[in-house]
Amino acid sequence: MSRELLEGSAAIAESAIAAGCRFFAGYPMSPFTGLLENMSQRLPAAGGVCINAESEIEGVNMTLGAAAAGFRAATGSCGQGIALMQEAIAEAALNETPFVVFNMARSQQDYFQCTRGGGWGDYRTITLAPADVPEAVEHTQLAFHLADKHRAPVIVYGDPLIAQTRVGVSIGRRDFGPVPAKDWALDGSTSGTGRSKQVWTWAMGKATEPGPGPDKHWRAIADKFDAIEPLEQRHEQEHCADAETLVVAFGSAGKFVAYVVDELRAEGHKVGWFRPVTLWPFPGPALEAAAASARRVLVFELNAGQMVDDVRLNVPDRRRVQRIGGVSISESGLTYGELMDAPIIRQRILEAVR
Amino acid sequence: MNLSIVDTGRVPEHGQLVADSKPSLLLGEHSLCPGCGEPVALRVLLEVLQELDIVGRSIGVVGHGCYGSFVRIMDVDVLQCLHGRAPSCATGIKRMRPDCAVFTLQGDGDMANEGLQEVLHAAARGEKITCVMLNNGVFGDTGGQLTATTVLGQRTKTSIEGRDAELHGYPVPVADLVAKLAGAAYVARAAVNTAGAVAQTKRMLRKAFRCQLEGRGFGLVEILTMCPTGWFVTAPDGPGYLSDSMEKTYPIGELVAP
Amino acid sequence: MERELIVSGIGGQGIQLLAKTLALAATREGRYAMLSADYGGEMRGGPSKASVVVGDEPLRALPVLPSAWSAILAHHRFSESIVDRIRPGGPVVVNSKLVDTSVLRADLVVHPVDAGAIAVEVASAQAVGFVLLGAYNEVTHMVSNEALVAAMTELLPPYRRQHAPANARALAAGAAALAGVA
Repeated sequence: MSRELLEGSAAIAESAIAAGCRFFAGYPMSPFTGLLENMSQRLPAAGGVCINAESEIEGVNMTLGAAAAGFRAATGSCGQGIALMQEAIAEAALNETPFVVFNMARSQQDYFQCTRGGGWGDYRTITLAPADVPEAVEHTQLAFHLADKHRAPVIVYGDPLIAQTRVGVSIGRRDFGPVPAKDWALDGSTSGTGRSKQVWTWAMGKATEPGPGPDKHWRAIADKFDAIEPLEQRHEQEHCADAETLVVAFGSAGKFVAYVVDELRAEGHKVGWFRPVTLWPFPGPALEAAAASARRVLVFELNAGQMVDDVRLNVPDRRRVQRIGGVSISESGLTYGELMDAPIIRQRILEAVR
Repeated sequence: MNLSIVDTGRVPEHGQLVADSKPSLLLGEHSLCPGCGEPVALRVLLEVLQELDIVGRSIGVVGHGCYGSFVRIMDVDVLQCLHGRAPSCATGIKRMRPDCAVFTLQGDGDMANEGLQEVLHAAARGEKITCVMLNNGVFGDTGGQLTATTVLGQRTKTSIEGRDAELHGYPVPVADLVAKLAGAAYVARAAVNTAGAVAQTKRMLRKAFRCQLEGRGFGLVEILTMCPTGWFVTAPDGPGYLSDSMEKTYPIGELVAP
Repeated sequence: MERELIVSGIGGQGIQLLAKTLALAATREGRYAMLSADYGGEMRGGPSKASVVVGDEPLRALPVLPSAWSAILAHHRFSESIVDRIRPGGPVVVNSKLVDTSVLRADLVVHPVDAGAIAVEVASAQAVGFVLLGAYNEVTHMVSNEALVAAMTELLPPYRRQHAPANARALAAGAAALAGVA
């Protein structure tokens, strides 16, 4: 299949449409704006609906409505806007409405927000963290698949490098296998039959047919996420078998670390890299195995230390874990600062190895 | 006189079947206070769906309040949504299912407090949905606190001496605000405190849904409902209190009609 | 084999467009390409930088290049950090009237082109980017000349289509300026 030179925002939009997304609503905020504009131009031509919502809260709730009606739907923003959507993401996790949230983040400071979530209740959010545009194209379609497979909202964690870099990519429909039919979707057809449907976080059912109620329902939701956890972990790694130093990074930082570690390996350093692809569920068992021989586990993330918590939770002997990243933002406040650079990463790894 | 429901299997010998009893869309009894106006509004709304013959394509979006319990007794496909967000959810549903009759059911706390921006934007966009606000000027479900539509002088748990403009500001006339927006095709204010008012409410709801079905734009019906518990009055005094206080601030009538 | 190009200049010199033209030309030839851009808010006069990577297999290159095989320097301003990242022996096409070549590292292979004068002669001042691109491609043979012209044409918005012939002349004149050098 031939390739098109597309910036990530455009590639993701095309990929979402290829996945069957037919509803999108969002509010402009850099670097998510490109995705909103691309959807606004491309989705109607594909027979879908794109709304430039008047606020992030309205956007995510429109998306929730479209998804509850049975359609593949998405929204997005950057972390500061996703903050406003926490209530609705949690709601969707608890009332089992599947949709995709594109966090085209400004930095890596959104890890806690994605994996711990700021909405109410016992829920988790599957989060995919692509390292570059081609992987973002893949993850976009995977996200819709996982959302439908598990009837839950899914986050794709992008960033300015993914949004704005243009790469030759081919966008075809990926087939991840069957998903359950949406017999729960609201379409009005069962209204008046005595078997009308509800999408309700409290799941109390009807007077004629009581539902499980909040206690049983929320326990079932918690059980559902417990079952998802071992099932959907994804990661990539290289040079770990005999590594004395393991470097862990996610997203674009993972791509930079892989590049640097490959270089260091070629120079004879016993270094390996590990990149969680799902931030939740975090690939803990795989990390533990990859770190088996390492004397030190270096965590490189552009924030004050977020993923490092998950690394410490999964690596026996937490004293091996060190942070070599940090907050790093450009002067504009809208993208990465100087730390997202191979020479600096190389220097930090070598300093830690000494 | 026999007032029992006609059993269609037993039409009297010289009689003529002029109407069929429809199965009620109400699946059970409500559990709200005696004298509450909300169940009256619900009954009327469901009858309108049946009379317009749109039940089989109706989808409701219900907010949070005492009326939230209606989700259990209304035989309609329902999304129970976040406080204030119903117009947004309804937008998503209607845009993807334009042939469905999509309505919201919200209280004044839900629509005028938490969700004022949602309803205004949906109206401005001319979304072809029908929003229904049950307005009793109080947060009933949480025990009776002040809302944006509490009228001046009204006593609530958080304005126990009566709403005072200096301390609590002025009430928000939601229907009037929505009426100013070009996307609003039908805006009306109704009440359920008298038989006549209930009949008028039903006519207004019918017109609002017709507007949606004809694709004319956004519809809002604000229905003043009695809340004796929240108003510190007895159930029999509810209707009179509504006329004397609520209706003075919120006059009944159509504000926008095609 | 991946080849990197960093382009640096100021807003108004057509830096972004020339980089995009090269990346698109490579993509249309069926190769793998990546294009990154870095520019401020000003329409004219601010820093404008872009990087292009072209390869025959899925690219390993990072969106922030640690180093580059080649460069095009259109202006001396904002160019110091770029020059540091060019690998020794790499071709560097330089806009000779606006870049002082004496300050460049001795281990770079510098190709000066008076792109401004050539642009005005065959097209207009605005075509300076295409002159530099034509010159660059003559030295590096990254893509075919036909692919460059086709990409340039494809990227023109409808209201600028009338510039296609002039831009093509600029590409050709840039190539001619460095003919026989590589």
